[in-house]
Amino acid sequence: MKKLSNGLLALMVLFSLCVAAATNVYAQESGVSSVEFPYTGNRTAVWVVAQLHILFAAFILGAPIFIVISEWLGYRKQDPRYDRLAKEITKVTVILFSMTAVTGGLFIFVLLAAYPQFTTSFINQFYVVFAILYPALFIAETILMYAYLYTWDVWKGEKKGRHIALGVLLNLVCLLILFVINGPTSFMNTPPKAEGVSPQDFIAAATVWTKIANQSWFPLSLHRIDGNVAFGGFIAGMIAAYMYMAAKTQEERAYYDWMGFAAIWIAVGGSLLQPFTGLLLAYEMCDYDFSFCPYMMADQLSMFFEMQGVMIGLLFLAINYYSWLSLKRIEGADNVRITILAPIVLVVLLPATMWVMNTYWIPDPMSLVFLLPLAVSPFLLGRFVPMTVSARTVIKIGFIIMLLSDAVWLTPAGFVATGTDMPDEMKLPEGWDFLASMPAKLSAILTLVFVTVVNFILYNRTIKQGTILWGKIDFAAQFVLIFLAFTSTWIMGLMGAVRSLLKKYFHTYSLVSDLSPESFTPTLSYSAGWITAITVVFIAIVSVAALVALRTSVVRVREPEGSAVPIAVK
Amino acid sequence: MGNLFKKLGLGLVVGGVLVAIAHSQELPFSFQVLFFIISLVGATVFILLDARPLGTMSGGKSLLAVIAFWIFMLTVSVAGPSLLPQFDPEDEKVKIGKLLDKERKQSAQGKAEELIARAKALDAQVKALEDRLKGLGGSQPAVASQTPLTGEKSPAAASASAGDFMKVGEEQWQLQECYNCHKLRGEGGKKRGPELDNIGTLLTVDEIQEKIANPKSFMAEGYEKEWQKGIMPNKFKDLMDPKEMQALAAWLGTFKNASVNTPKPIKKN
Repeated sequence: MKKLSNGLLALMVLFSLCVAAATNVYAQESGVSSVEFPYTGNRTAVWVVAQLHILFAAFILGAPIFIVISEWLGYRKQDPRYDRLAKEITKVTVILFSMTAVTGGLFIFVLLAAYPQFTTSFINQFYVVFAILYPALFIAETILMYAYLYTWDVWKGEKKGRHIALGVLLNLVCLLILFVINGPTSFMNTPPKAEGVSPQDFIAAATVWTKIANQSWFPLSLHRIDGNVAFGGFIAGMIAAYMYMAAKTQEERAYYDWMGFAAIWIAVGGSLLQPFTGLLLAYEMCDYDFSFCPYMMADQLSMFFEMQGVMIGLLFLAINYYSWLSLKRIEGADNVRITILAPIVLVVLLPATMWVMNTYWIPDPMSLVFLLPLAVSPFLLGRFVPMTVSARTVIKIGFIIMLLSDAVWLTPAGFVATGTDMPDEMKLPEGWDFLASMPAKLSAILTLVFVTVVNFILYNRTIKQGTILWGKIDFAAQFVLIFLAFTSTWIMGLMGAVRSLLKKYFHTYSLVSDLSPESFTPTLSYSAGWITAITVVFIAIVSVAALVALRTSVVRVREPEGSAVPIAVK
Repeated sequence: MGNLFKKLGLGLVVGGVLVAIAHSQELPFSFQVLFFIISLVGATVFILLDARPLGTMSGGKSLLAVIAFWIFMLTVSVAGPSLLPQFDPEDEKVKIGKLLDKERKQSAQGKAEELIARAKALDAQVKALEDRLKGLGGSQPAVASQTPLTGEKSPAAASASAGDFMKVGEEQWQLQECYNCHKLRGEGGKKRGPELDNIGTLLTVDEIQEKIANPKSFMAEGYEKEWQKGIMPNKFKDLMDPKEMQALAAWLGTFKNASVNTPKPIKKN
């Protein structure tokens, strides 16, 4: 298994380097005509391969953060389960590392075949990144990843700190890769510009660093970091669900039940930040060119954002449903109570936030002056209020509030594909249009996050007061874990499409036009079909990788090394 | 089963009440459907919360359950987005076609197409000349071309040309999607930019052109925040050629409807 995995990875690295070299050679050629991809067309062909590559890359960049946190928790708590979780996910990551290289190489080939002129000029723009930095960091990541996996059993006990440090170093390289590659990616959306100079002239004179450090580079990187952590967690949760379903013994079920729980809570940590870093990214994009804003929210992409609202609403409902199911298998959970201020704040929060956001729109700090004391009041003042409510009641109230927040999030200005020429009979009437405003949407997001945080606090309190019966979780929880992995992957696909479509009819916004006949906004229905297909392919490969990497270790755990039969008898 | 019917019934009642309220407030039908669906989702959530635990499955049974669950998720994720209103790309294709027309012609492919078109035109001319020669040789004179020999334009042609110029301006208004932020003739605009029906009275054509080319050159009264943030993109001089921008400015300059309160522009830079 190790040999196969080693060989595969070496082959992939070699393949990637060949691709990089071929690309450089190809970049020297000019006037090459493009290939016509049958059935999908060129743009969809690039989209499918690029999105697949991004999903694998997101996992292999996000999982190491997740893994090191898990390993460190295991070391700190002296709980071997965390260590096992970290090691198992590392094995899966190593296999998916090869897939990242394969899809990366394929992506370059397809891009070169479909858009030869743009690709060559783009590679020339970022020659240092594509020819030096990225390959060097990729090789460093490969070496560190393997060193990290193979020193696991060597650097244990007193040397565990050394192993964790190696993991941290691996993460630093992963972060560097993410920041480096996000340079060209974000450049396509927001190429740097200056007043009084034409965009072409400015870019011709700009340094590589100026091009990398464009306006959406940092927000995109932040959004992708927490997104990758969340994504790594959700995928690990799905792996745990599959392993739980395939488990033969109660001991295995207990472990994979715990693994699902640990993975989801790490994922939730990343997910709670996602809406805010996403908002920051959108804010910076709109600040760069305000025409992005109506294009996203009121025009061609408005229904894409409606779909985003549906999926994120379902994601939050599923996260909280999982914690509800987890709570059910804790003995003594019925006795847990919380101050009555908690449900009061839950009920008040959505309208209060909508009022505050309408009055003091971000980045006005006055909004915090009102909202922060309200949000923390149950935790600070709760001890002085004698009345309490059971945890279960608070969670149920939380679900009602989440549904209301979803309703606010999903209420658009009009159910039309584009805001242009929107007939009056499709619009929200005056007096109700506040529901479609950005302050209302942000309030809905804040409320969803707040309810999840309250549930997390309640869950922690319940764990402290009760006993968790690992392996006894409602079997429905495994389907929730699968659903979370599917939904998070699907949302990544959807938002990836949105980010790319924001360039409108440009390859690089306002700099390089896409002269192909495919430079238009596809329908949501068409996009959803491809996003679903990409999600299925990705999850199928991950599932196979998990099966290959983990089933053998489960069998090994089930049948301990060495034989029970005396050697002499053999 | 009691739990299911109770919660479902409650969901239907809540949904019905929401629809009634939305209807009484004259919210469009699609919003009424949205609220009804959310109340049904709420009922489903509460059915699940109080549902009996699902027994542990193993082997083939769990595999079948996972496959069925996947089929359900995939069906919903493909069918769900298809139920939402779909943007018709054909509208955008026409717009983009016009925007990229010049560039496409200049590109290698465009050049090739142009060469083919030129060759075809030459071929047609040759045929016309042949016909003319044949005509000269015969009894009836053949007229191959109606093209005037002089470059002078008749008054009718000049008027048509001015009309075309205005059409270019109006077309640029549509192509550059100015209506997304500005209201004109009662259409478009989301309060992001000032209403422009009286702009021709307040600014000259040259000043309008200056504002389009350099959005910081004028600030509309009451739009200080927007002006400071630079909401109007500073990109139009790169997206339009000078003639197109001039046409847009000239077209906007014809709007002199004093009954509309177009905010007063203040000269800045």
